[in-house]
Amino acid sequence: MKADAETLYGMIVEFEDVPLLMTAVSKCRDFGFTKWDVHTPFPLHGMDRAMGIKPTRLPYLVLGGGLMGLAAGTAMQLWMNAIDYPLNISGKPLFGIPANIPVMFELTVLVSALTVFFGMWSMNGLPRLYHPLFKSRRFRRATQDRFFIVIEAVDPKFELEETRKFLASLGGNVIEEVTENPED
Amino acid sequence: MAHQRVPSLKDTETMLSSLGPKVFNACLVIGLIGLAAALGLGLAEGDNLRHFGFSYLVNFAFFLSISLGALFFLAIMFITKASWNVVIRRLAEVIAAIMPLLGLLAIPVILLAGQIYGWAQPDARTSHAMAHKAAFLSKDAFIIRWAIYFAIWSAYGLFYWRTSVKQDGSGDVALTRRLENYSGHALVVCSLATSLAAMDLLMSIDFLWFSTIFGVYYWTGGFVTFFAVLTLITLGLQSTGRLTKIVSMEHYHDYGKLMFGFTFFWGYIAFSQYMLYWYANIPEETAWYMLRSENGWGWVALAVLFGTFLAPFCGLLSVQAKRNLGMMAFWAAWIIVAQWVNLYWVVMPEFSHSFTISIMDLAAFFGVGGIWLAGITRLAMGTSLVPLKDPRLEESLRFENV
Repeated sequence: MKADAETLYGMIVEFEDVPLLMTAVSKCRDFGFTKWDVHTPFPLHGMDRAMGIKPTRLPYLVLGGGLMGLAAGTAMQLWMNAIDYPLNISGKPLFGIPANIPVMFELTVLVSALTVFFGMWSMNGLPRLYHPLFKSRRFRRATQDRFFIVIEAVDPKFELEETRKFLASLGGNVIEEVTENPED
Repeated sequence: MAHQRVPSLKDTETMLSSLGPKVFNACLVIGLIGLAAALGLGLAEGDNLRHFGFSYLVNFAFFLSISLGALFFLAIMFITKASWNVVIRRLAEVIAAIMPLLGLLAIPVILLAGQIYGWAQPDARTSHAMAHKAAFLSKDAFIIRWAIYFAIWSAYGLFYWRTSVKQDGSGDVALTRRLENYSGHALVVCSLATSLAAMDLLMSIDFLWFSTIFGVYYWTGGFVTFFAVLTLITLGLQSTGRLTKIVSMEHYHDYGKLMFGFTFFWGYIAFSQYMLYWYANIPEETAWYMLRSENGWGWVALAVLFGTFLAPFCGLLSVQAKRNLGMMAFWAAWIIVAQWVNLYWVVMPEFSHSFTISIMDLAAFFGVGGIWLAGITRLAMGTSLVPLKDPRLEESLRFENV
């Protein structure tokens, strides 16, 4: 495939075995790349540390979502049952906490779960129907029996020749440039 | 980590060795002194050991629930073919295998049943409700049921421990298969026995009151306390240089997840029971909660709500807390105290309608607990603290939370 510097998406390097890959990944991390990723056919223990990925901030979002659900569940029942349309049911208090807890609990869980789901989507840039890496025939083996490191061209440390040299030093099989535009 | 060396059993001490007799003797002495002191204080009250009976019951129920937690833990680990737990499984095995000793410790409860249980009082026979329950709630049936409960628990508890120790020598994979296969009926039979035992032990103090979820309430409390005890025992052993390196932060993280999960489950169960009675508002059902929310017991009820549920729930929510040994030790100790307070709150209002606590409760705690821990230490002294040839040991050693 021909590489066009203006529409270059990034550079991929292929590995066949895990130990070599892990060492290479650590080197990329130490080199200081920020816009890069590793693709493997199955999860690898220790990859987060090798890549230097910080723990996700998603839990804080979920905590916020859960508290919002809790507040909404409480306020909704307070407003509906005790203020807007007070209805005495078998002599219970208009706003009786034990009776309200199931709804408070369910809304906490619901909003937390929705925050997990859509928070994960938005933090990962999903949904996304097309990706430049789809163009590379070689890359298809990332779901079968090959491991790939991808350095994106937008990375501040990316320089065509320098990066190619660096990737060549990692001991991978083949280095390939991937372009941005979908037509071949 | 993929390029980090996997620890092996050679990296650490896996025998109690010289520590064993020291802990055994200390626990036995504390246990005997505690029991003697509790009994002495009970006799001094001159109430035919009624107060002592309740005090003893709280602590017996507490330590029994921890061993039951260990038994269920083993059954669940085997039936799911889980591997992460193998390095710490022997600890659960000795805690569960102590069942025959707990059977002996049940004798005072049975002897003092006439002092403790409402159905054993002379005036119970005049109650209309009692007429329908008399066949079940009679002294003979009570004794027979306790014999059956402990026969079941002891059989399974000893089975897990003995089979696992046998594998230390032979390394036979067929033993693991048998442990897995037996765990199916173990769960069914032990669940029934535990649920009925919880009714006999705690619910039938007030024979008019009933709750279909009570067995789960008792079991969950024991299950979460078991993980707290396991955390402290593992930390204690590691502080003496045993099980170091092979039990990693990953295993503690799982303790933390289970403690957190079952803290919430306990809250869920406890609230479900409370809410249904609160909402239905039928006098014979709410009586149990009324007794426990008046005359000072209401403060204990709040302590139970915050202590066993809300505080540890918030404390163990974050992943950082579960991977911090100081926090884990703190919350484990907290849960043990809180679950004890919970059982005290379940039992003691039946003895005294206004809040009471005495030095006898503490003495009985150290009495039952000391003997219980001495028995566990005695079992652990003879063998390795780790199942040496379990086929999943290697997986457990290299275990990592993703």
